[in-house]
Amino acid sequence: MTLSHARTVFISGVVISSVLFAVLTYDTHMKFSGKTYEDKLTAQVASGKWVWQKYNCNDCHTILGIGGYYAPDLTKVTAYRDAEWLKRFIKNPAKVWPQERKMPNLHLSDQEISDIIAFLSWVGEIDTNGWPPKPLMGAVTSGAPGKAVFENNGCSACHKIGGVGGAVGPDLTKVGSRRDKAWIIDQIRNPKIHNPQSIMPSFAKLPDKDIEDLADYLSSLR
Amino acid sequence: MKYESQRIAYKYFAAATVLFGLQVIFGLLTAAKYVWNYDPLIDILPFNTSRAIHLNLLIFWLLMGFMGGVYYLISEEAGSEIYSTRLADFQLVLFTAACVTALAGYFFGWTWGIPFLEQPTILKAVIVAVFLVFLFNIFMTMLRAKKWTVIQGVLLIGLITLAGLFFAGIFFIRNLSVQFYYWWWVIHLWAEVAWALIAGSMIAFVLLKLTGVDRAAVEKWLYIELGLGLFTGIVSTGHHYYWIGTPLYWLWVGAVFSVISPLPILLMVIDTLRVVKEKKLEVQNRAALYWAVASAVLHFFGAGVWGFAHSLPQINKWSHGTQFTASHAHFAFYGAYVTLNLAMIYFAVPRLSGTETHARVTHLRTFWIMNLFMLFVVFSFTIAGVVQTYLQRIMGIDYLTVQGFMKLWYWTLWVSGWGFASGVALYLIDFFSLRSQES
Repeated sequence: MTLSHARTVFISGVVISSVLFAVLTYDTHMKFSGKTYEDKLTAQVASGKWVWQKYNCNDCHTILGIGGYYAPDLTKVTAYRDAEWLKRFIKNPAKVWPQERKMPNLHLSDQEISDIIAFLSWVGEIDTNGWPPKPLMGAVTSGAPGKAVFENNGCSACHKIGGVGGAVGPDLTKVGSRRDKAWIIDQIRNPKIHNPQSIMPSFAKLPDKDIEDLADYLSSLR
Repeated sequence: MKYESQRIAYKYFAAATVLFGLQVIFGLLTAAKYVWNYDPLIDILPFNTSRAIHLNLLIFWLLMGFMGGVYYLISEEAGSEIYSTRLADFQLVLFTAACVTALAGYFFGWTWGIPFLEQPTILKAVIVAVFLVFLFNIFMTMLRAKKWTVIQGVLLIGLITLAGLFFAGIFFIRNLSVQFYYWWWVIHLWAEVAWALIAGSMIAFVLLKLTGVDRAAVEKWLYIELGLGLFTGIVSTGHHYYWIGTPLYWLWVGAVFSVISPLPILLMVIDTLRVVKEKKLEVQNRAALYWAVASAVLHFFGAGVWGFAHSLPQINKWSHGTQFTASHAHFAFYGAYVTLNLAMIYFAVPRLSGTETHARVTHLRTFWIMNLFMLFVVFSFTIAGVVQTYLQRIMGIDYLTVQGFMKLWYWTLWVSGWGFASGVALYLIDFFSLRSQES
């Protein structure tokens, strides 16, 4: 092979790949609006994105799987945390989450907090081609459908079962010996019924079947 | 040293070396936050600030090294003094000022808040100016010399894409998916296109001068390797477009191009080893040769093997956003670009200071210590990432609980980090003592 052949390899490699990439980029642009629900991308969402950047959230948290690996991924955070919980948490992270690894209090204004929650809600709707995937183990616990509800809603972030889980809420390993199903259903729907000071978010938004399954599962833990 | 103006390279190498030392210190500080949950620095240097500084120092020192390397090689390639040494000095001052301001600003929360590109917009504008001054000075040197080599041509395209692609990371885009789409043009395409071209020309130059092999053969292979490398590298940006709000076809595109992308790097390894085997000169400067060979071999493992290990969508679906990515990032940047800069520095500095034949034991000791401990750093992140993928993603255990299960590997990371830092400390001593022998 001569030098001019080699040059041809170089030029064609670059040109073919660039053209293909440019075409795909154009097509992707045409589809962004649908994939990301741009019609819901309001001015408040855009302000929230700037809040996200202003406080450099992305160097601890991942979002869409990109960023620092020091704190949980926030892509679908609004699916298991309601706005009220998020607001309380951002206002004073150490109080709501007295775990050892802490988030610093960034002293966001109330406006900034509602903006960033709007941003996170919008991100949660993005069609990510199925990422993050549902855990396999959560999906195969068909024997106890409530266990999957427990896993998929991030309950273990606060509650321990059998030594696995967070320490923010009570240990649920033997919760069935303390509480009956009806009590648990009330607690899931409105935690403040039993304790007006409770920091647990309401899960009333879950489908009735899921709440039923979850209560069955938890009340069976004795 | 053949040309007086090559001396400018030394200042860039010195700046790069200092920034490299700082990068490792901030790496240790950042890693400590994984090991101990209690963080006494949480209000002064929280994890995000520490990580931003660690990442920025990497980019700044590698760029600083590239600039030094290019200023060193361009005179010899073009057969002429650098167009303007004053402009080169100005560029150095401007770039150093931008770097220091950016790093200091992070302590006060002055940030743009997108990973790697945390520099506030005004500083990005300064960095663009630095790139343009650099490009102008190099281009004018070539133009004035009127002597063109393949190495120069490749270099020039590299410098143009370096400045051009950076624009993709400057603007605030309301849509996060679109922002990340173009963010990868800086992160992935910089590494795969701009840096690859600059690094390719630098390594070709070093091998040519060290081994005395035929220029025509080196240049021919440079074209072929870069041609294939860019062919796979550009479209393989697609493996970053699986889950960020982009069409489903990227899973196919990313997968196909990821499968073939390690091949050009393998070709580069084979070619480098062939050049070394066919060398026509007795290589006095073994440190430079070792680093040059390491930059091919570790590039293959870091970018090629560790990249391929999680670039198929079936795997990436589970591993995306875990510490496995950190293992790949450390291995790839170290394997491809840190080693290359060190090859250039170990090649050029003895020539600049007239201590060319002075072979020292510390040079090779530094080489082995840094490489060995970087492998341990990479393995620690790799195992941590695998543990995280299985427990968090596949079993569905919550994030923080899993972090507890990963603690052992954060400890090995921390200890390996200190080992690596000792190698870097030796390198710093090495670097500054090379210069002092001149006086």
